[in-house]
Amino acid sequence: MDKPILSPNIKDDFPILSRKILNKDLIYFDTAASAQKPKSVIDEINDFYNNHYSNVSRGIHTLSVESTFKYEDSRKKVKNFINAKSENEIIFTKSATESINLVAQTFCEKFLKKEDEVILSIMEHHSNLVPWYFLRQKYGIVIKFAMIDEEGKIDLEHFSSLINDKTKIASITHLSNVFGTITTNEVVKICREKGIYIMFDGCQAAAHSKIDVQNLDCDFYVFSGHKTYGPSGVGVLYGKENILKDLPPYQGGGGMINEVTLDDVSFADLPAKYEAGTPPLVEAYGLGIAIDYMNSIGIENIMKHEQELSNYALDKMLEMEFVKIYGKGKEKSSIISFNLNQIHAHEVASFLDVEGIAVRAGHHCCQPLMKHLNINATSRISFGVYNNIKQIDIFLDALNKCKDFFKR
Amino acid sequence: MNDLLKELYQEIILDHGQDPRNFGECENYNKSAKGHNPLCGDKVNVTLFLDQDGMIKEIKFSGEGCAISIASASLMTEKLKNKSLNEADKIFNDFTNLVKGQTDELKLLTEDDSLYALKGVNAFPMRVKCATMAWHTYKSAVNE
Repeated sequence: MDKPILSPNIKDDFPILSRKILNKDLIYFDTAASAQKPKSVIDEINDFYNNHYSNVSRGIHTLSVESTFKYEDSRKKVKNFINAKSENEIIFTKSATESINLVAQTFCEKFLKKEDEVILSIMEHHSNLVPWYFLRQKYGIVIKFAMIDEEGKIDLEHFSSLINDKTKIASITHLSNVFGTITTNEVVKICREKGIYIMFDGCQAAAHSKIDVQNLDCDFYVFSGHKTYGPSGVGVLYGKENILKDLPPYQGGGGMINEVTLDDVSFADLPAKYEAGTPPLVEAYGLGIAIDYMNSIGIENIMKHEQELSNYALDKMLEMEFVKIYGKGKEKSSIISFNLNQIHAHEVASFLDVEGIAVRAGHHCCQPLMKHLNINATSRISFGVYNNIKQIDIFLDALNKCKDFFKR
Repeated sequence: MNDLLKELYQEIILDHGQDPRNFGECENYNKSAKGHNPLCGDKVNVTLFLDQDGMIKEIKFSGEGCAISIASASLMTEKLKNKSLNEADKIFNDFTNLVKGQTDELKLLTEDDSLYALKGVNAFPMRVKCATMAWHTYKSAVNE
């Protein structure tokens, strides 16, 4: 093996990774569920509370000014991180889930009527299914589901064939949380040609690939803070400014208004229009620090590093005849879903847990996809900057032990 | 091999997990319920025949899930067959205490009982639900 792209010492940036699980070194292979946090993020959050904290936006006093500056500075970082045109296009929410709900509801209010159609795919996370199911139940919106190919990518031909005069928007994962497969720009091209809106669920993509919303030319893009090495409790919604301007407000409350009288209300300009109530200001700030951290390593390096780990693990796992991989394509990043022959994913996860290896087991909030694959669960490993080849070797060894233990 | 795992996956668990007893549906049943663990997608269906005296004359289960959930369901059907509802209730309480590690609370179960094999679950809090799903489903069946 050549010299690794990222130094193995990167692990030391993450305090939690020095802890032991049942006397074994922790190997964290569950970044797709949530990434661990670098010390800089934890320290800066502490510093915010210890030295600068107050509510944002309306205050005159020093602390409020400092808090507002930190919060808005983070918005700039997010804007640059995904190459948005303007900070007005960056809305802080409590989670990517809230971001999707925001778009689904406001878009529906403005553009959708009974029997209008929305396109999702069968491999969407529940968070990109259920908000649209609400619209189906309440307003009679029709949902169509794009199929996937053998590699676990969107079947573009099928996707395209679903679009008709009634179709208004598609909402698709940018990187599958089960397969690790990447949705290409082709999807956007199809949407542009057919004149429909497109949203990407970028929860998995944001920490593992370079996001450029202008180049992508999508209308909406959402991701969460906690999967990008930032704190939990903050999500991001990107929307093209002219579209967000046109959409109605989502929640009502403080901060999102221009003027309120007993008879009427006018709304604030972007981005405040969509940030009712005290925002997750410290969390948003922490996300900015996490972005600094990723930039200090370099997104290109992170991508190459994780690609190397994925390829290495995938090649070895494909050689193990008792391992079944879901989504075998090479164009995938940082995530591998698998099952061991005749051993339930729960058993695999518990077995690996006592070896100190944290993996996910279950339906990964993708029950329709599990049904399509005719399984009820998989185990899933996913990588971050702090993982290395040595850990994968320990994991592969543990898979063999697991097979022997269950005598399969 | 790790002791916690040995404790969790005792031979009897692996045996019942791979080769569950009383698997299927009772021919004549008057009580049934379906259980589902939304966190992991495991499913179980419990059917039973309760006679006029409140005795469980027949009990079977079907479903899909991990070794722990299947073995627990299988052992449950063996244990509850030919028991009165009253006895079954006590066993239910004992079992839920057992898998939470609260062995001081046990009224009927002893260490040489087959169900005792599931005690190891208490070291894996996330697996307690796997072990108790069939039991709660049984409960809803008789309470329906």
